[in-house]
Amino acid sequence: MFDLTLTPEQLEMRDTLRDFAQREMKAAAIHPDRLQPFEKPVMTDMLGKAAQLGIRTLALSEEAGGAGADNLTTCIVLEELASGEVDIATILGTTAALGRTLFDTLMSAEQKARYVKAFVDDDSYHLAFAGTTAEAGIGWTYHRDAYDEGMVAPSAVKQGNDWVINGRVEAVSNAPLAKLFAVQVRTDSKKTGMSGLSTFLIPRDTAGLKVQDTITAFGGPDNTLTRWHHGTVAAVELKGCKVPAANLLGKEGGCPFADGKLLARNAVAMAAVSLGVGRASYDAAVDYAKMRRQGGRNIMEHQAIGTKIADCTIKLELSRNMVWKAAWALDHPEAVADRSVSELPLHVIARVASAEAVHEVTLLAAECFGAMGVMRDMPLQKYVNDGFIFAHSEDTDGAAKLQIAESVAGYQRKLAA
Amino acid sequence: MDFSLNEEQRHWQAEARKFAADVLRPASVARDQIEGGFAPWDWDIIEAGSKLGFRTLAVPKDWGGPGADFVSQAIVMAELAKGDSAMSKAFSQNWKWSHLISVACSDDQKQRFLKPFLADHRYVMGRGITEPNSGSDNRMPPEDDPKAGYRLRAVKDGNEWVLNGEKCFIANGSVGSLFFVDARSNPDVNIKQGGTLFMVPKGTPGFRIGKVFNKRGWRFYQNAELIFENARLPQENVVGSVGTGSVKAGKGDTTGGDIFGDLELAANALGVCDDAVEMAMAYARSAKRAGKYLMEHQLVQLRIHEMHMLTEALRSYVLRTAWQHDAGEHSANAGFVMNYSTDLIQRVTRLNMQVHGAEGCMMNSRVDKLVRDAMVWTHLAGDTVQRVKILKRLK
Repeated sequence: MFDLTLTPEQLEMRDTLRDFAQREMKAAAIHPDRLQPFEKPVMTDMLGKAAQLGIRTLALSEEAGGAGADNLTTCIVLEELASGEVDIATILGTTAALGRTLFDTLMSAEQKARYVKAFVDDDSYHLAFAGTTAEAGIGWTYHRDAYDEGMVAPSAVKQGNDWVINGRVEAVSNAPLAKLFAVQVRTDSKKTGMSGLSTFLIPRDTAGLKVQDTITAFGGPDNTLTRWHHGTVAAVELKGCKVPAANLLGKEGGCPFADGKLLARNAVAMAAVSLGVGRASYDAAVDYAKMRRQGGRNIMEHQAIGTKIADCTIKLELSRNMVWKAAWALDHPEAVADRSVSELPLHVIARVASAEAVHEVTLLAAECFGAMGVMRDMPLQKYVNDGFIFAHSEDTDGAAKLQIAESVAGYQRKLAA
Repeated sequence: MDFSLNEEQRHWQAEARKFAADVLRPASVARDQIEGGFAPWDWDIIEAGSKLGFRTLAVPKDWGGPGADFVSQAIVMAELAKGDSAMSKAFSQNWKWSHLISVACSDDQKQRFLKPFLADHRYVMGRGITEPNSGSDNRMPPEDDPKAGYRLRAVKDGNEWVLNGEKCFIANGSVGSLFFVDARSNPDVNIKQGGTLFMVPKGTPGFRIGKVFNKRGWRFYQNAELIFENARLPQENVVGSVGTGSVKAGKGDTTGGDIFGDLELAANALGVCDDAVEMAMAYARSAKRAGKYLMEHQLVQLRIHEMHMLTEALRSYVLRTAWQHDAGEHSANAGFVMNYSTDLIQRVTRLNMQVHGAEGCMMNSRVDKLVRDAMVWTHLAGDTVQRVKILKRLK
């Protein structure tokens, strides 16, 4: 049965979030004073308001105290939120997806009992995953069992009933806000690649865990690097960080995140966030094209602009189809099992396709604004920048795309060198 | 056919290459990262380049300028743009108006404006056409529609003209000493019949600078509002005749016009593409992924191949068009090469971004800058109005 009907709850959540994003978030997000500087701090008050709407615990099961939203609902909500402000949607989307994965899938009953109440009760409680997956950079070892030597993880050594962790994880999404980290460490120093890794739950206030300074607009020697990230991000340093064995997620050496399947949820969530940015630029272009008069008529009535608007519409509709399909497939494994939908990595297809489409949509939308499209007090250039970050990231570029080809070829990658 | 450069062209190429490497490139990323619309500007860079002849490059020799030909101009723009695209534009913007003065201005006007331009290293110029409600309208006005096009009003009062209205996004607006400004001397007919071109020097009573625009790319380069509140100009500041529209007033050389203006953007884009290619090659030969240099990965080989191929195609088209201009041959090529450069600079700077890739949560700042600079083309040189307009040059 092929059915695109949304439930009354999904429609209501979409309308509520759309209203919140358009009426509350947008005015603050695209105020010229915020748009003009390179550095755009997270709007923490707005993040709090969005959390109060229940987005932070959206995907957490109802038994655990969340809304128990499925992947499709989460995508619908995140697109709306991101059309208001991308960083807030990214932060909340990351916490929401990890909330479901950590509390409902990976934690033992005892671990869940220790952490879930604080997570549910505290609107400023965020989650972060500090580690990598086999999917990262997969294209560089396309059809080979070798691994990118770049993959390093902090080392963990057992001392009695504790593990002592040393090392550093760069670029951890949500790290500046997270109160609980899932940190991937190497518990078997003889193994390499994705083998010999384990994941620990480490609360932020654990001695020896230090979140480094939040990454700002520019970094590196002489500002030779520019922040290329949505949400908020920082490195996490672990120095003699002692973690009880009871904080091990799953089994030692089990490395639950290794094959990337658990993070498929995050991938479709981020695809939905990118759609929201594309939609924001598109909505702005449509409004403007209907209002701006040149050559004796509204520019919407010129074929040249009509073509751009049509192209944007096509790209967004196609992307949303793919994102929703990938989300729905995650929600309905039985539909994959009975061959209703393919076994291909739909979440990767959704992530890459939406990133490319949104990148193109933001550029076309900006073009409708003429010179105003490049002005920093206008939101179009911000959407374009966001689109570039989506399209040129480790999750979406040409190397990321090759995991689709490996899947098509039926290539089975070994998890260790 | 002969593609070799003559001695003078090679001289300018070497000078520009050295200046770009020694002065522009080292300052490029730092100036770009300064917040605000005006603050990225730096007069020291303009003065240093002016002393080497880059500000006055297009002033004819009989007026005491270097009088460089179009091929030299194209080469210099590309070389300077390889150091910094926005800085290159800040110099070449002046060449447009030097062309216009040489072609269309009276000897009296040349005395009054070309002489101080040559003498003062900080004298830069701009042209005011666009207004908040007249952008595409000016480029492609509906035939004979008096409501289309710029509205800035010019009313004769004795031997003077009184101007009221505003222009926006005007090049060198916040730093210029002289502006060519299109105004309506007769608002009841279309701009070809009711438009007049004026020379407006800085300090004209009733004329001031408004907002300085803060842009995503070309951050060094200045764009500002020009505001006219009963600004008074003498009749002697009219270019050509009253009510001919700016095309006739400029004797066909309006924006430095089809002869220069379009070539300018294409040549500048060529420099940016050269920069991107060089950056990508250097990175691909030094960075490794999965144990191999990037250059050994097919993913990267194909990107670098495309970058080279497109850049060489653009180089050929730019120089061929410059050569046609030197031969006095008008064609639609200047427009086409400008539009083409828009497509290519987008593609090549993005391929450079793909080659570099995001490193965790960071991107190389200069790689990002080239992409941001390139975006300006889409909104200036290759928008659909420009493309449709070029068709009119086809016979």
